[in-house]
Amino acid sequence: MNFLTIFARNLKQGPQTEAFPLGPAFTPERLRGRIEFNAATCEGCRICERVCPANAIRFAKTPDGMTFDCWHNTCVFCGNCEFYCPTDAIHQTNDWDLSHVNADKFDMVEHGLIPNQTCVECGATALNTAPMVKNAKPPLSTEEYAEVRARCPKCRAKYLKNRKVPA
Amino acid sequence: MGLIPNFKNIATRSPWIYRINAGSCNGCDVEMATTALIPRYDIERLGCQYCGSPKHADIVLISGPLTVRVKDAVLRMYEEIPDPKVTVAVGVCPISGGIFRESYAVLAPIDQYIPIDVNVPGCPPRPQAIIAGVAKAIAIWRERL
Ligand code: SF4
Ligand code: SF4
Ligand code: SF4
Repeated sequence: MNFLTIFARNLKQGPQTEAFPLGPAFTPERLRGRIEFNAATCEGCRICERVCPANAIRFAKTPDGMTFDCWHNTCVFCGNCEFYCPTDAIHQTNDWDLSHVNADKFDMVEHGLIPNQTCVECGATALNTAPMVKNAKPPLSTEEYAEVRARCPKCRAKYLKNRKVPA
Repeated sequence: MGLIPNFKNIATRSPWIYRINAGSCNGCDVEMATTALIPRYDIERLGCQYCGSPKHADIVLISGPLTVRVKDAVLRMYEEIPDPKVTVAVGVCPISGGIFRESYAVLAPIDQYIPIDVNVPGCPPRPQAIIAGVAKAIAIWRERL
């Protein structure tokens, strides 16, 4: 009689087969998929490049600044880069549908640019990275953060050292 | 006259799929087996079926970074597959070498030796991604036939 129970259950539940590719596919929220990079919050520490086991991430210095490239055809979706990124600039999305024809092979890349800027204090050319200010007491206000960001690394350190802490 | 297009319509319905393991870690092969054998994914809905002999194959799925040791065997097997064939590289290994890139023992990327038509990146790609790749391959195969 067992098969009758299974039969009844199957009638009620319908087929287990996923509709994909004729319908949408089930995608878990935390599926490890394509890498996404946000240059605006990147600190430029290059930890992601160092921890990537497949060497999928490359930074390069160009006249315009520092470029970021993540090659989806090399990335193994391990999530190391997101785990070690101190500023949450790199994210793993749950986008898994990366299949492509071979002609598009070299377009499968996440590209970003951290542009150069001129330091407002000393005039030196430096990268416009997001400053990582830990343990500032009280925490930096939005204006202070923008001021820190507009400086080169040396002037940033000077700015933070000379910052007046309200009593 | 009308017979030849009819043959073509019948022939383009159901490609046979063949798997070549070019030194893969088995991750991709497990996913390919999952794609074919588990009712949840069921690639036979697309009319495909795995076959045991390269001589019957239409679409060939290659996994693995083409290690130096299997290179000759893989190339010989690839030659045995009749034209027109469509090649799908499954996993990042055959596409770029993936985690094994720049090793002395692998010859990736595989498209230096074998013409590749569709790439399915992932380590391993999930079954749905393989199905998406096979669907692209079937479209290419219908054009070629
Ligand atoms: S993405 Fe994150 S880990 Fe990589 S350089 Fe930028 S801040 Fe550092
Ligand atoms: S997920 Fe892993 S392999 Fe992919 S870019 Fe990040 S560290 Fe590299
Ligand atoms: S792509 Fe990843 S899972 Fe597939 S064979 Fe290569 S290492 Fe193994």
